[in-house]
Amino acid sequence: MKKLFALLAATVLTTAAFAVEIGKPAPDFTGTDITGKTIHLSDFKGKIVILESYNAQCPFCQHHYGTGAMQALQTDLAAKGIVWLVVDSVNKKNFGYLAPEAAQKLWTEQKFAATAWIDDNAGTIGHLYGMKTTPHMFVIAADGTLAYDGAMDNNPKPFGDPRTAKNYVSAAVDELLAGKTVTVSATKPYGCSVHYAN
Amino acid sequence: MRPIISILIFLCAMTDQSVRASHTTATLVLGVESATPGATVLAGVYLKMESGWHTYWKNAGSAGQATEIKWTLPEGITAGEIQWPLPKKLPPVDVTTYGYEDEVMLLVPLTLDKTLAPGSLNISAKVSWLECKDTCIPASAEIQGTLNIGTETKASATAKQLAVWQTNIPVSKDGFSAQAFWEKPTNGDTRILDFKWSGISEDADFFPAANDNFEVQGGTEIFSTPTGEVCLRKLVKKFSGDWPREISGVFVAADGAHEAKIVIGNLPPTATAGSVSPQKAQPLWRMLIYAFIGGLILNIMPCVLPVIALKILGFVNESRSNPRHVRVLGLVYALGVLVSFLALAAVVIGVKAAGHKAGWGMQFGNPVFLVCLVTLVTLVAMNLFGIFEVTLGGRALDSAGELSSKHGIPGAFFNGVLATALATPCTAPFLSIALGFAFAQNAAVILLVFAAVAAGLASPYVLLSWNPAWLKFLPKPGAWMEKFKMAMAFPMLLTVVWLFNLAAENYGDRVLWLGVFLVMLAFAMWIFGEFVQRGRKHQFFARLTVLALLIAAYAFALESELHWREPLAPRKTNNLAHDIDGIAWLPWSPEALIQARATGRPVLVDFTADWCLTCQVNKRTSIETASVRDKIKSLNVVTLLADYTHFPDSITTELNRFNRAGVPLVLIYPPQNKTPIVLPEVLTPNIVLSALDRAAN
Repeated sequence: MKKLFALLAATVLTTAAFAVEIGKPAPDFTGTDITGKTIHLSDFKGKIVILESYNAQCPFCQHHYGTGAMQALQTDLAAKGIVWLVVDSVNKKNFGYLAPEAAQKLWTEQKFAATAWIDDNAGTIGHLYGMKTTPHMFVIAADGTLAYDGAMDNNPKPFGDPRTAKNYVSAAVDELLAGKTVTVSATKPYGCSVHYAN
Repeated sequence: MRPIISILIFLCAMTDQSVRASHTTATLVLGVESATPGATVLAGVYLKMESGWHTYWKNAGSAGQATEIKWTLPEGITAGEIQWPLPKKLPPVDVTTYGYEDEVMLLVPLTLDKTLAPGSLNISAKVSWLECKDTCIPASAEIQGTLNIGTETKASATAKQLAVWQTNIPVSKDGFSAQAFWEKPTNGDTRILDFKWSGISEDADFFPAANDNFEVQGGTEIFSTPTGEVCLRKLVKKFSGDWPREISGVFVAADGAHEAKIVIGNLPPTATAGSVSPQKAQPLWRMLIYAFIGGLILNIMPCVLPVIALKILGFVNESRSNPRHVRVLGLVYALGVLVSFLALAAVVIGVKAAGHKAGWGMQFGNPVFLVCLVTLVTLVAMNLFGIFEVTLGGRALDSAGELSSKHGIPGAFFNGVLATALATPCTAPFLSIALGFAFAQNAAVILLVFAAVAAGLASPYVLLSWNPAWLKFLPKPGAWMEKFKMAMAFPMLLTVVWLFNLAAENYGDRVLWLGVFLVMLAFAMWIFGEFVQRGRKHQFFARLTVLALLIAAYAFALESELHWREPLAPRKTNNLAHDIDGIAWLPWSPEALIQARATGRPVLVDFTADWCLTCQVNKRTSIETASVRDKIKSLNVVTLLADYTHFPDSITTELNRFNRAGVPLVLIYPPQNKTPIVLPEVLTPNIVLSALDRAAN
């Protein structure tokens, strides 16, 4: 039993140190959102969940929200019953870190339409999923396996119209909803590097 | 706020050649004041970053964005591709980017048409870049300059500056040849790519060209093949499509940077290197000396200690015999060691010839061998207890006084074999270097090195047998010898327990039947000793009983219950199952190593095996100790464990890279260096602690 436990611990650590894999169960996590609510990935069992690695100061993120394209997609997907978690792994000392109140203000100002914004300033979720850039997108299928890992779209620039770019996330979600396998399940994420603690 | 800055930049751009964005200024630098039509003129876009800020190379890496230049040129002037100076690899390692700190000059050749009319021409461009420090800012600037078309080409004052930057552009020439190989097939989305090229050095690196379908990750590892060749190892992550067949990028080494596109092969560089004579190889004579010293040291390694007890006994016995006989016995013992080592060498050569990997102590990964050895050692222990006698003349002997003749020539030979069999789970200092060398060589060298180890192992006894006078410190033979002999059975039993424990790994709960088998065997031996050897009556009946017992023990316990020839499938994570408060080991693999190194933390790799006694001793005394655990925690070290118990090929390959033929091997990778600190075979906590400190600083 002890051995088994140690083995389990080793497995968890393995996934903790290195990134997740397509087709494998997406690891559960616990986080606190900017309203102070505790959020577990397992809360959304049976639903498609999108994770978005976010930094308010990153021009790539600013571009997606500045154009309103991100909020439009969030609204659209929310109507289909899809969960969208914004994960902000910027460390507290960084210029880009937003305290919960500031984050709530920005949320209202920019009309975020995501399910929640998780303050991950310790980088726990970011490291667990191997989030490299902002924005770095993950789509978790309803069965809890990872279906997509990579860029938002094929426009790796902080300019241009996100609405006309090929959006990998909405394509993956559409395929999942249609019961198909995801055609493009991995792309190279673009953007700013995540400003983790240390 | 940002639109205002942009407008300001734009306004400045209208008035000045040098434009200030948030933290970067852009300037147009022309190599000529005037040029003739038809000439090619070098232009430079000079970016000057504030301290701490950087801009990106053409492949920004895992994040960031390459600088872009959009020219507005008069008719008749065309701009070529940007020539990018060699960038720097920027941290953090897990999101490696390639860029420029402080300053950079992006060079662009401008081709002037032959039909250009003389006069002054305005050249301008819009430069867009992403500048990053704690945060990133996209910025752009308009830059401009004037080019005079005239009858002569006249260099400008800034031409020299351009020339200096030109020397920093990676060379792309036909003569450069590099090789790239996939290390092995993969089912996953990451794969190891090895590179080598002439001019590769210990501080070499590879900066990949950008690609949407795959990413060559930032971490770089340098290793030497057993033949002394330097190779560079990168981890490639695939996003879509097939694995690439070609790879392009910049090969960076001490002798300069070369840009090239090469075809990826399927054979690892080590395989193609074959047995080409190594440049950096050690001379054979030195390796033979190492092998000899290693064999000598083996005598005092824990594996061989129980056998030493036997040998001491043998000497006491022999000291009474005539010197000639003693010498013969010494030589026969040496012969036993030598023959066993040559047999081992033959196995190694055979395994290699069959295209498999061979390693020191690999027989301990074989459960069938373990069962045979544990049986043998049990018999030796029973014999020492006096339960039965080994009678090679067919005559039972019952007094200690006759021990010496009983421990005759076959006994001495057997001692030699046993010493060798038990010595292999240990590698001693010097020995690992010699064996690591030998395993990569041809058959003759393997035989020579093994013979040298045998000579080292046997030499103290041969010397003593030549000068029995040196044994005077030992008490006179007498009744104590019988007691001593029995006492020595206990270290043998300890060896049995150890081997049993190793076997348990291979048979799971079924190992119980191995124990039953050993007890039945011991019982049979007792009947044999008591009623056949020492008994006076019913000898025939006793013999039958012994035979029946042995057959039953084998058929029932070994065959039908233990299934001794069908061990369980190897469990991979065995050595990882430690106490919860112990070191958090992660399983080693080449990929895991590169990923661990990509975190920018120091990495400790312990190559170990259940059967490797030296490894287990090291673990107890110097790795899983409170001080080392605390140090590992405080320095945030990633700890990887490579379990060699079942002898996986990937670990053999890695050991060969460090010129080792077996475990133990403990490596500590400092975050910055591409090559690890190699710890000695026998460790103390201080060795590990100071190496960890060195790695962290």
